[in-house]
Amino acid sequence: MRKTFLLEIVMIAVAVAFLFPVYTLVSLSLKDPGQISRSPLALPDPPTLDNYGSAWTAAALGPSLVNSTVVTVASLVALIALGSFAAYFLARVRTRLGYGLYVLFLLGIVLPFQLGMIPLYELVNTLGLIGTHAGMILFYTGIQLPFTVFLYTGFIRALPREYAAAAQIDGASHLTAFTRVVFPLLRPITGTVLILNAVFIWNDFFTPLVYLGGSGFETVPVSVFAFVGQYVSQHGLVFAGLVLGAVPIVVVFLALQRYVIKGFASGLKG
Amino acid sequence: MTVSSSRRRFTASAPSWLFAAPALAVYALVVLYPAVSGVVYAFTDWSGIGQDMSFVGLANFGTLLGDDQAMGSIGNTLLLTVATVAVQNGVGLLLALGVHAKLKSRALLRVIFFAPVVVSPVMVAFLWKYIYNPDPSAGLNGLLGLHVDWLGDPSVALWSIAGMVVWQYAGYSMVIFLAGLEGVPRELHEAAMIDGAGTLQRFRYVTWPLLAPAVTINLMLSTIGGLKLFDQVFAATNGGPGYATETLSTVLYKQAFVFGKFGYSTAVALVLALFVAAVSLVQVYYLRRREVTA
Amino acid sequence: MTGLLHDARVSRGQFLRMMGGLAVAATATACSTRPETTATTGGGATTELKFIGVADQKAPMDELVGAYQKAKPAVRITASYAPTDQVQTSLRTQLGAGNAPDLHVVYPGNGSAMSMAQIAEAGLLADLSAQPWAATVPAGFRPAFQLDGKTYIYSAGSSVIGAVYNKKVFDKAGIDAPPTTWNEFLAACDKLKKAGVVPIALGAQTPWVTQLITYALVPSTVYAKDPTFDDKQLAGQATFAGSGWQDAMEMYLELQKRGYFNDNPNGTTFEQQTSMVAGGKAGMAVQVSAVLPDFRKAAASPDDLSMFPVPGADDAGSVWIPAGVVVGLGAAAKGRNVEEAKAFIDFLGKQENINAWAKAISAIPLTQDDSSTIDPAVESFLPFTKDRAVPFMDQRWPNAEVQPVHFAVVQELLAGESTIDEALKKMDEAYRK
Repeated sequence: MRKTFLLEIVMIAVAVAFLFPVYTLVSLSLKDPGQISRSPLALPDPPTLDNYGSAWTAAALGPSLVNSTVVTVASLVALIALGSFAAYFLARVRTRLGYGLYVLFLLGIVLPFQLGMIPLYELVNTLGLIGTHAGMILFYTGIQLPFTVFLYTGFIRALPREYAAAAQIDGASHLTAFTRVVFPLLRPITGTVLILNAVFIWNDFFTPLVYLGGSGFETVPVSVFAFVGQYVSQHGLVFAGLVLGAVPIVVVFLALQRYVIKGFASGLKG
Repeated sequence: MTVSSSRRRFTASAPSWLFAAPALAVYALVVLYPAVSGVVYAFTDWSGIGQDMSFVGLANFGTLLGDDQAMGSIGNTLLLTVATVAVQNGVGLLLALGVHAKLKSRALLRVIFFAPVVVSPVMVAFLWKYIYNPDPSAGLNGLLGLHVDWLGDPSVALWSIAGMVVWQYAGYSMVIFLAGLEGVPRELHEAAMIDGAGTLQRFRYVTWPLLAPAVTINLMLSTIGGLKLFDQVFAATNGGPGYATETLSTVLYKQAFVFGKFGYSTAVALVLALFVAAVSLVQVYYLRRREVTA
Repeated sequence: MTGLLHDARVSRGQFLRMMGGLAVAATATACSTRPETTATTGGGATTELKFIGVADQKAPMDELVGAYQKAKPAVRITASYAPTDQVQTSLRTQLGAGNAPDLHVVYPGNGSAMSMAQIAEAGLLADLSAQPWAATVPAGFRPAFQLDGKTYIYSAGSSVIGAVYNKKVFDKAGIDAPPTTWNEFLAACDKLKKAGVVPIALGAQTPWVTQLITYALVPSTVYAKDPTFDDKQLAGQATFAGSGWQDAMEMYLELQKRGYFNDNPNGTTFEQQTSMVAGGKAGMAVQVSAVLPDFRKAAASPDDLSMFPVPGADDAGSVWIPAGVVVGLGAAAKGRNVEEAKAFIDFLGKQENINAWAKAISAIPLTQDDSSTIDPAVESFLPFTKDRAVPFMDQRWPNAEVQPVHFAVVQELLAGESTIDEALKKMDEAYRK
C-alpha cells in the first residue's frame, strides 16, 4: 500500500511537470501585455478574457469552425467505412496477393508527402475540387487510409474468426456478416482510428492552406495562423487564438479518450 | 466474383477482394499515382514553376553526394531520430508502468500524458519557442533558474527540438505500451511472485517478453516519425542557427520552395523515402523475429 | 531514352506527355492551363478575384479592398493571408500546378523564389506596363519593378532600414541627438550600456532579422565607394570576399564583441526584440521601417518610438542608407480574370491609394502629391533617398540561395562557429550557383 502511495506522488509530480507548457499557454493567454513582460511565470493577476474576445473576432473563427467540422467529420466517415472494409479483406485473405496489397497500403505511411504534392494538386485542380470541402475530404481520405488500414487490419487479425463464421453458417454473406457482426466488434479500434485521424485532420495546416487559401472555406489552423502571423508580437493574443483553435479537438479527445487505449490493447496482437 | 455470390454456400473462404476495392481506388488516386508521377521530377531540372524543364538523368543524385548541407542534414536527421526514439519510448514505457499500477489518479494521469498528442505540432512548436526563450526570468529558464540558450546555441538546439517532440509524443508511446501491459495475464505475475521473483525480475522475464508487439509498433512509428520530422523543426528553428538543426525534410522543403529547385528537391525526397522504407523494413523484420523467439 | 532526352529543352507539358504511362498527368497539365469559367453567384455576374498575400499586407489590403468594393460592386475580392514561409509554399505549389490565384504577393526585384524576376521569367505574371502609374516609377526603383523593360509588380512605395529607437531610453541615457557617424553610434551604444539597458536588441532567431544589420551597413561600406558594385558582381568582377562586405561584417561583430547586443541573440526572436525596445529594456533595434506598426503596438505610447539611419561610415557625408521597394503584388498572366485583376491593380496605382497603402505600413509613397503623408519616424531618411540610397541587396542577387546562406552564416558568426572569411566564401559560392 505504501509503495503505491509513493508511486502515486511521483507520477503526480511528473504530471505537474508535464503540464508546465500548458500552464504557460493558458496563463499567458489570460494576461495583458504589461503582465506578460513584468511577471511571465506568475499566475495571471487579475486574469483577463480580453485576449479571447479580440482573438475570436480578429481571426474570424466562427466560419472556420464550421469548415473544419464538415471536413473532419466527412473524412472520418469515409475513412472508417473504406478502411474497415479493406482491412476485413486484408486481415482474412491468405494469398500472396493479399499480403502484397497490405504492404502496398503500408508504403503510404513511409512516403514523404512532398513527393506527390504537385501532381496531386494538379489532379484535384483537374477534378475542379480546389477550394471546396470535397477536395479536402478526398485528400484526407486518401492520405490517412494507410494508417487506418494498418490499425484495423491488426485489430481484425486478433479477432476470432468464429464470430463471422457463425453468422455465415446462418446463411449470411460476408457483407452482412461484416456489417452486422464484425463491425460492431470493431468499436474500440474505431475509437482509436477516430481520435488519431481527427487529430491529424483537424490540425493539418499545410494542405488546407494550399487548397483552400482565399476560397472563403478556410479551416481553423489556416485562420489561426494567419492571425498569428499578423499579431505575432502580442503573445497573450496569439496564445488565446491557439487555445481557441485547439479547444474543439481537445473536447473530442476527452470524450473518446477511453477508447484510445482499448483500441490499441486489442489490436496489438496483429 | 461479386460480394453476393459468396452468399450461396458457406465456406471458410476469405472475403471478396471487392471489400478492398473502394479503399484501393482512393488510395491509388490520392497517394500512389501522385507519388509515382512526382518521382519523374527527380530526373529533371524543373524549378517548380513555368513550363521550362529538361531531363538531366541522374545528375540530381550526383549533386546530392557533393552537397555539404544535405549530407550534414542526414547526420542531424539520424541524431534527432535516435534521440527521440530512445527517449520517447523510454519515457513512454516508464509512464505506462506508472499508470498501469493501481493508482487513484490513474485515469486522470493517462489523460494528462496523452493530451499533448492531440494538439497541432505547429502550435506546440510555437508554444515551445516561447518556453525555450533565453530570458532568464521567463519560460523554462525562469522555472529552472537556468541561463541556457535552448534554440540559439548550435550545440543545444537539436536536443531542444528532441525535447519538444518527446513532450508531445511520449504519451503516444505510453498508450501503446499500456495496451501491451493490459494484455499481460495477471496469473503469470502471480505465478512468478510465488516463485520468489522480485519486481525487476518479473519485469525482465514476464512483462518485457510479452510487450514485444508493443515495442515493435512503437519503435516503427517513432522511427518513421523521427526520420520524416518537419513541422516542429521548421516552426521552431527553420534549420538554424546556421545549419545546426537542418534535417532531410527541411532541406528538401527549402530546395523546392525557397531555392526554386523542385527537381533536386524531389531527388532528396526520393532518397528520404527509400531510406525510411529500408529502415522500417529492417526494423520490423528484426523485431518480429524477436517477438517469435521471445 | 536518357541520351535522347538529355539536354533537350522541352516544355513541361511536352515532357510529361513523353513519359509513357503518364497520360493522366499530361491531361492534368493541359486542363489546368485552360481558361476557367468566371464564378457567378446569385443574380447578375459577379467576378470573384482571389488574392493571396503575406500577413503584413492585410492592413492596407483590407482598407483598399473595401474601397474598391464600393467603387465596383460587381467585383468581389476574396483575400487570404499567412506568414511569409507558408504563403511562399502554397503559392509555389499553385503556380507550379498552373492554378495561380488572380492576384498574389510578389517580392520586388530578384533574389527569392517569389520575386518578380523569377516568376515573370517563368511567364506567370501579367504585364502591367500600360497602366498610368507604371510610367511614374522613379528610375532608381525600376530594377525592382521591371524585367526586360516591362513592369510586372505593383508596390506602394519604399521602406528603409535603420535603427528603431526608444526616445525615452535615449533621453535617460543622456543621448541628445541620434548619432550621425559610426564613432558617435558606438558612443551612443556605450552610453546606453552604462545606463543599464541593452543598446541594440537583436532577434537573430528569426532568420530574416539576421540580415538587417549587414544591410544597414553595406550601403556605406560598399555602395558609397562603388555605386556599380552590383553590376560588377553580376559580371563576375567583384565578390563578397575582399569587398566592403568584409568591413560590414567586422562592424557587425564588433557590436557583439563590445557587448552591445542582448545575450543570446540567436535564441531571441523578432517578437522578443520588438518588445525589448518597445518596453524600454533595450535602446534600439536595427529594423525595416515596415515593422514600425509592430513596435508601436507593443509600446505604452506609440510616440516613444522613432527611427534614424544607421551611420556606417566615420564621416557623416559618406553615410548611405538602404531603401527598398516594399513587398507588392502582381496579377497572374494565365488567370481566369486577368483583365479584372489588372483593373484592381490600376485602382491601387491611383495616387490616393498609393498614399493610403504607404501610410498603413509607414512607407515612403512611390509617388507623392500634396495629400501624401510620410511617417515622421522616417523623416530623417528623406535627405538620403535622392542619391545616397540603395535597394535592399538581395533584390539584385541572381538566385534565391544567397539570401538564406546570408541568414545562416550570420547565425554561425554570432555563435562564434565561423569566421568572416568562411562566411563570405559561402555567400560567394551560393551567388555563383
